[in-house]
Amino acid sequence: MIAVRGLTKSFGALRAVSDLDFEARAGGVTSIIGPNGAGKSTVFNLIAGTLRPDAGSVDFGGRDVTGLPPHRLAQLGIARSFQISNLFFGLTAHENVRLAAQSRAPRRRFLAPIRRETALAARAHAILAEFGLAELATEPAANLAHGDQRRLEIALCMATEPRVLLLDEPTQGMSPAETLAVDHLIKSLAGRVTVLMIEHDVDLVMGISDHVIVLHQGRKLFEGTPAEVQGSSAVRAAYLGADPGAGLGADHAAA
Amino acid sequence: MQAATLARRFGSAAFARRSALGWIAPALLALALVFPWLAGEFYVRLAIEALLLGAIALSVDILLGCAGLLSLGQAMYFGLSAYLTALCYLHVTQSFWLVAAIVALAVAAVAAVLGAVAIRAKGVYFALITFGAAEIAGKIVHNTRAIGGSDGLIGIPVPSIALPGFDIALRDNLTFYYVVLLAISLVFLGVTRILATPFGSVLAAIRDNASRVPYLGYNPFWYKFLAYLLAAEVAAVGGLFYPLLRGFVGPDLFGFEVSTQSVVMALVGGVGTLIGPLVGGVVITFLQSVLGSFTERHLLLLGVIFILFVRFLPGGLFGLLRRGPAP
Repeated sequence: MIAVRGLTKSFGALRAVSDLDFEARAGGVTSIIGPNGAGKSTVFNLIAGTLRPDAGSVDFGGRDVTGLPPHRLAQLGIARSFQISNLFFGLTAHENVRLAAQSRAPRRRFLAPIRRETALAARAHAILAEFGLAELATEPAANLAHGDQRRLEIALCMATEPRVLLLDEPTQGMSPAETLAVDHLIKSLAGRVTVLMIEHDVDLVMGISDHVIVLHQGRKLFEGTPAEVQGSSAVRAAYLGADPGAGLGADHAAA
Repeated sequence: MQAATLARRFGSAAFARRSALGWIAPALLALALVFPWLAGEFYVRLAIEALLLGAIALSVDILLGCAGLLSLGQAMYFGLSAYLTALCYLHVTQSFWLVAAIVALAVAAVAAVLGAVAIRAKGVYFALITFGAAEIAGKIVHNTRAIGGSDGLIGIPVPSIALPGFDIALRDNLTFYYVVLLAISLVFLGVTRILATPFGSVLAAIRDNASRVPYLGYNPFWYKFLAYLLAAEVAAVGGLFYPLLRGFVGPDLFGFEVSTQSVVMALVGGVGTLIGPLVGGVVITFLQSVLGSFTERHLLLLGVIFILFVRFLPGGLFGLLRRGPAP
């Protein structure tokens, strides 16, 4: 669904991403892990159009989308969430989701008031309900608890009816219980949408991913199934090298 | 069940808040309708000026309150419109409708070019470009003899508005007042209506968090661009009537003083409320007139008012009424 080839990006002398190849298969959950500074966020920024690559290409469903601006990529069906909740904090939860859903709504009359767009409002309510946010519909996003904001972040993405969902640390700052809820949520999304995820919670990654890519200093160190990654001595060395005393299971190096 | 109850409670709270604003506009309109019976001719003419300057403040609010763009050059469209109107009545035609059409098209053309450039600039640069463009336009007018140079244009004839069956003579003060009141009310209703559409929702999102908007599939450029065109046309409505009130136009209509004054009006009334800037226009215009009769330094007082509002009442007068998220 998403395939990157020879992806390269430098910031001055720093090579953040270097000649990276990988593929996220349709309908699966692909995760990118790696120590801090491995270039994970840069890879997301390159795929979602936030940054332009210096070299290499991004292919989306057989179409070259390298360097397209974010709104074009979103229209094509690539949605991204943000590591730090990036919501419309002055708008209610419902208005947030409605805005995202509106991008796919058919335009009938240009001057029709949005109050009368009942189908759109109902769709936004349905999405809120699916993400367990129905009771918070009329709350401004700023008033939501951290975990609710993280779920609203993903709800916004799903409301744009994406084919690929890029999740940037969906459980960032969450309690174990909240993390478990997100775990179930992502499992429920898998199949409906191709998921490409950056995540620091290695237990979560190993539990739900079909395919794991390990980045180290901007390069692909290893890729394979969760079991293969956990068995890899190269991966263990990278993590241990980054922070002696931390292993893959107890993920301190990446936290 | 629980969710439905909650939604209804919050929904009705939001409704109550909205209807509080909902009866204020009609109440203000009723006051404006009886105003000529309460005040003398001088104040009726002052009220006309207030409404026309209020159009620039409304124009500022469309950009600042709805799209998060601070323009320091909205006077340019007011001045452009006023000059074109004056020139048309002096040399081209006496038809109000034809002049209105010419002004609308010319303002759209200028706004399209300048908007396309200014909107690509980020943050403070948008303010600087709009400020610079208005200054340049003012200087060009100031230095062009053919259109009066620094003296401006005088002796502008006052036309009648031709309607099927009868004409409305604008020479009569009271008639002129009601025509301007109707025009500004229609502009206000039109803008309110446009901003209540899905288009307005995207603008509200841009104001709230512009960085996220593209990731939902919207190209912010086009939304800001259309808001910029709309704002320019709203300011132009003020300029369409201004020469008829004064009988002359001068290059200072393009000036920084008019632009910044309209920002102060918007702020005093309440940025993002649409009705607030019109009320701010009335408050500031009357205040300037009253203070101007006591002191030459009324601009200084304008500055003090600006600082006090920014510091203590950033939501403006209508911000007091509207707590919570924008409807």
